[in-house]
Amino acid sequence: MTPQEEVHIARAKSDPEAFAPLYELHFATIFRFILRRANDRELAADLTQQTFLKAMLSLSRYEPRGLPFRAWLYRIALNELKMYWRKRREVVIDMSYAEVRGLSEEVGLPGQDEDMRRLAMALSKLKEDAARLIELRYMDGMSFAELGSVLGIGEDAAKMRTHRVLATLRTYLSPRA
Amino acid sequence: MNRRYRISPEGRPQEPTDAEIARYRDPKRLVYNYHRATRLFHRRPLYKDPKAFLALLLIVLLAWFISEVVDKEHQAKAPPATDQVTE
Repeated sequence: MTPQEEVHIARAKSDPEAFAPLYELHFATIFRFILRRANDRELAADLTQQTFLKAMLSLSRYEPRGLPFRAWLYRIALNELKMYWRKRREVVIDMSYAEVRGLSEEVGLPGQDEDMRRLAMALSKLKEDAARLIELRYMDGMSFAELGSVLGIGEDAAKMRTHRVLATLRTYLSPRA
Repeated sequence: MNRRYRISPEGRPQEPTDAEIARYRDPKRLVYNYHRATRLFHRRPLYKDPKAFLALLLIVLLAWFISEVVDKEHQAKAPPATDQVTE
């Protein structure tokens, strides 16, 4: 977190109007983060607005503790998406070949069309927490440190969890599965 | 809720540009919604407002008065109870 961002946060805690610079700074990032999952611009705009409103309302309870402010916003955005998805029976998440290239290399898939179909099926079998971790790491391209700060765990724990999820994915992709 | 993944060469439709995203930015609406949410959250309960309290009291007294009147009318219309003579 930049010192300027810290100043904005401190000011916004006592004056809601002072939240504007933080909103301007992070709006596009949070909008894109939500859009990657929501697949609808209007919906993404609504959920982004809701994310910032929740952030403003609970800003007094926010403590930096060395974590980036953006990670806190990501966490709120994920909660907003979860609440929105609760009303739906199925959620479809689109990913491009480029986004899953790193993932397919990690699980040992050459990257042919058929492999991508198998990978999509294996991802769909993952539990929600595991799937979210894969999305944050490969779709959003987060580092383990950033991943840890969004999930509220340490960097090493994030690394370990990712390796565990990758092992589960390999099991799902093995010919016997 | 089921989570399904679709992996294709192009992935999602093209991402919006910064200018397109900027069109969705509305800081005024955010501040308005914030004030609305905090006002609703900190709204004084109805019974703590003297005027509303008096109005509520009047309604309760009126209801009690009406029930008393109706009750008395019922008692007046009912035939007087007679003592039964037992042998």
